[in-house]
Amino acid sequence: MSNINLLVFLRFLFIIISQILIFNNILIFGVSPNIYLIFLIIFPLNYNKSFMYLYMFIAGLILDLFSNTYGIITFSLLISSLLKIYFLKFSFGHFDASKVRKTADYIRETSLYQKITFLILMFFTHQLILYSVEAFSFEKFSWVVKKTVLSTIISIILSYIFILIFFNKNAR
Amino acid sequence: MRKIIDFLIKNIHSLTFAFLLLLSITQIIDKNYYHSSKFNFFSNSLVNIINEEKQNLVEYFELKEINENLINENNFLRNNYSKTNKIDSLISTDNYLFSSAKVISNSIKFSKNFITINKGASDNIEIDNGVISNNGVIGIINNTSEKFSTIISILNTDLIINAKVKRTNHFGSLSWDANDPGILNLYDIPKSADIKKNDTIQTGGMSSIFPENIPIGIIQSFNLPTGSNYFNITIKLFEDIGSIKNVYVVKNNFKDEIKKLESNNE
Repeated sequence: MSNINLLVFLRFLFIIISQILIFNNILIFGVSPNIYLIFLIIFPLNYNKSFMYLYMFIAGLILDLFSNTYGIITFSLLISSLLKIYFLKFSFGHFDASKVRKTADYIRETSLYQKITFLILMFFTHQLILYSVEAFSFEKFSWVVKKTVLSTIISIILSYIFILIFFNKNAR
Repeated sequence: MRKIIDFLIKNIHSLTFAFLLLLSITQIIDKNYYHSSKFNFFSNSLVNIINEEKQNLVEYFELKEINENLINENNFLRNNYSKTNKIDSLISTDNYLFSSAKVISNSIKFSKNFITINKGASDNIEIDNGVISNNGVIGIINNTSEKFSTIISILNTDLIINAKVKRTNHFGSLSWDANDPGILNLYDIPKSADIKKNDTIQTGGMSSIFPENIPIGIIQSFNLPTGSNYFNITIKLFEDIGSIKNVYVVKNNFKDEIKKLESNNE
C-alpha cells in the first residue's frame, strides 16, 4: 500500500513541477498545454476517493498560485475528478471500474478510439469549465469556445505523448 | 448522535468533495481586485520566492537582450536630457515618483491576466499605483505583500485606461478584448476627431494614476459604426507584454489630496 502512496506522491511532484517549470512557459496559438490533467487521468482507480479529491485540491491550489488564477484551476480540477468515473464508463463501457486497477490495463487493452474519446471528454470539459469560469460572461462565449478547442487539441497531443513516454509500463 | 456519525462515515467522500469545492469557490469569489482577500494565499511569499529564483535562473540567458534594452533606454533618456535639460524625461512633473522593479511572473493566456513584481509594501508600493515600462503602460497595482506586489495587467478585460490621441488631443478609454495580446481597443473618440492610421496614442492626464504623455501604441485601423458618433479604433501596442522584464512603478504624491478634493465635491 505504501508503494502506491509513494508512486502517487512522486507522480504528483513530477507532473506539477513539469507543468509549472516547462509547460506554463510554452504558448502555442496563445494557449499553453495543460499537462497537469494527466495526474487525474492516471490516478489509481481503487485509491481512497476523499484522498483523491484532496490531492486534486492541493494540485489545483499550487497551480493557481503559480499562474495567478485565483482558484479557477482548483475548481475545474475538482469537477473533472467528479466526472472522471462517468467518462470512464462512457468510453470504456465493458470495463468494470471497481475491478480494473491499473491504468496500464486501459492503455494496453483498449482501442485507440476509446482512449482518444476518453481524453477528449476529459480535456474538453476541463478546459470548458476553466475558461468559462475565468471569463465569467456570456459576451465572451466565442472566446471561450475558441480557447477551449485550441487548448484541448494541443493538450491532448502533448499529454498522449507524455503518457506514452512516462506512464506506459508501470502505470497502475 | 450515532445516526449522524453513521451518516458522516457513509458520505465522507461526497462531503469532502463538497467542502473542497466550496473552498475553491470562495477563492474565486474572493479575487476582488482592490482589497486583500480573506485567505491571502495569493500574495503568499513562498510561491513568489520560488518564482523569483526561477526568474533569476532564466534571466542569465537573457542578459544580452536586457543589455540592449538598457542601451536603447539610455539613448532615449540622454537625447531627451539634452533637449529639455531635465534629469529624467519620464519624470515629466515633480509630483510623480518612479521606482524600478523586476517582473517575476506573468501570463497572457487568460482573459484576466496578472503580473507579479519583486517590490512590495516595504518599498513604499501601494495599491492603485501605476506601472509602466520604457515602451508604455503595463497596468495597475492591485495587491501588495511585504516584498511583492501583483499588477492587473493591461491585458485584463476588467482594466480600462484613459488615453488620448497625441496629434489631436482627443480623449478615449482603452481596453482589451481578450483576443490578440498585441492589440487593444480605444473607444469614445468622437467622429469629429481627424484621426489617421499610425497616430500615436498616449496616456491622458485625466486619472491620478499615470502621468500624462506616456506612449502606449499606434493606431492600426479604425472604423465608424453606422449610426454611431464614436470611432472603434484598434491600437497596436509598443510593448510586448509577454516578454517584459523590467518595469517602473509610478506613485502620485498628491493622489490622496486629489481624491479628498474629489470626494468633497460629491
